[in-house]
Amino acid sequence: MQFKGLSTDQAPPISAPLRFFLTAPIFGIIAGILILLSDASFLISRYSLDSIVITHIITIGFFSFVMFGALTQMLPVLAGAKMYRVELATKIAYIIMTAGLVMMIIGLVFTSSIFTMFSFISLGSGFMIMITSTLYAIKNIDNITATIRGMATSMFFAFIIVLMGLFLLYAYISNDYSELHIVIANIHSVMAIFGFVGILIIGVSFQVLPMFYVAPKFKLFCKNYVMSLISIGLFIWLLLNFFADEYSIIGKFWIALFFWAFATTVWKKLNERKRPISDVTIWYWRASSIFLTVGSFLWIFDEFLETEYIVMVAILIGGSILSILIGMLYKIIPFLVWFHLNAMGYMSIPTITEMIDKDLAITQYIFFIFSIIVFGFSFYLPYLLDLSAISFIISMALLEYNILAPVLLYRRTKKTKPDFDMSMFQ
Amino acid sequence: MATIKEFLATDHRRCDEMFADMENRASESLESAKSIATEFVNETEKHFQMEERVMFLEFETKTGMTQGPTAMMRQEHTQMRSLMVQLLEAIENDNKDKFFGLSETLMILLQQHNMKEEQMLYPMAQQHLSAESERIVAMMESIIVE
Repeated sequence: MQFKGLSTDQAPPISAPLRFFLTAPIFGIIAGILILLSDASFLISRYSLDSIVITHIITIGFFSFVMFGALTQMLPVLAGAKMYRVELATKIAYIIMTAGLVMMIIGLVFTSSIFTMFSFISLGSGFMIMITSTLYAIKNIDNITATIRGMATSMFFAFIIVLMGLFLLYAYISNDYSELHIVIANIHSVMAIFGFVGILIIGVSFQVLPMFYVAPKFKLFCKNYVMSLISIGLFIWLLLNFFADEYSIIGKFWIALFFWAFATTVWKKLNERKRPISDVTIWYWRASSIFLTVGSFLWIFDEFLETEYIVMVAILIGGSILSILIGMLYKIIPFLVWFHLNAMGYMSIPTITEMIDKDLAITQYIFFIFSIIVFGFSFYLPYLLDLSAISFIISMALLEYNILAPVLLYRRTKKTKPDFDMSMFQ
Repeated sequence: MATIKEFLATDHRRCDEMFADMENRASESLESAKSIATEFVNETEKHFQMEERVMFLEFETKTGMTQGPTAMMRQEHTQMRSLMVQLLEAIENDNKDKFFGLSETLMILLQQHNMKEEQMLYPMAQQHLSAESERIVAMMESIIVE
């Protein structure tokens, strides 16, 4: 059994998760600007270049950045394991993933194979560093909980989707599109959202909902089987896609059913929570449940509508994932700042609820939810797209400001070194 | 008799219930939360002492690990004690904002602390101290808070 994570001097430095967290909203702003500059008709097609670029700014720049940042911090707390040379590994991965994503945007938007080639190398290596570091840390854990299994399964899917992603990206370098390009792109996106992101979120929720909200624990059936059943569903869907496409709806139904069940369970757990306190993070969880429920059903019905609504499905499920991740940022960052300052001996610091302005967090939430809903409507009314993009940009800028506030407090406290409060030792 | 792991994990849940009750009453008025807050602080202190004065000592003697997980857990106990003192002060000063700021901080610290104990430390303690489990639980049950 590992205990490395249970020692402050060996816990990951605060900079490891923070660099990922603080960069995510900046990519959110860039995605918003690109939506603003894009023509609505291009965004309606999932395979247009504009759609592909914007989707990857969000999925890599926001989803993956927040998830990898959170993993560096969660492995010690939830598993007592720590990534090998976490500071070095995360720093390198962060730099090359950021550079890789920027180069991918430039490479695809300006059709520059040189930039795309560099992004191919750097994004591929950045992802592999984070995936192997996480799996290596998990390898030594004896007490494998459902959350750890979720992390490992998610990393397995991450490995597959990165390989597929590289294959797809290479087509833009060589200008040679394989016959399987569209099929692989479809599998890449479904496994990324439901396998990599979805399973990690479900696995972490098992711990986080009871921890942050004193909600009832998840049932053993959920913890023991749901993630495996989703993985089986993903592979059934994969096989059907290749060999019997007309039946692939069975796989879709299987996957969507479990995600809808998860969304319902989250809603129920929040209703049954023992803490009466309601804050913006609860509203984010609830919004996520609604988006996920509607998105899952639409994904199934979309099969009968000749995938006409797939972009709408992506907006809803993407909105659901963003909601959970933003909510978690509001919880994790103030706690990390408080915990690290407190462990250094600074006892008289603001509490975690005082670090982020509540009204600004609510304003950010309103802009975000508005942008997702209007984005959905812009599917029918293209002129609404600009309104949605502006609202999204404002929400991401506010998010950056809100999560930067505790980090600046951390820096200020460390720099000014106020007197230690020794009252506890007297 | 319950194992070390079961005994201490059940005590965590008992403290969680009291904590939720305290917040529920505090949302009405801090005055009405006063007695349950004192009870919560006393019971949590008792839990800390059951660990620090009994289980941790036994674990450290058996494994020789004095600077490992138990040292980290002791440090987090100190952090939580400081928050609990401030929590009672906030009730005395009838400062609701401060109270809920402190309770939120304490709750997250407490929950992540419990998680580390229940998922890592307790199973390991149970593994090393299974032969003496009954004696250790009995000692913890009979502890008098200092």
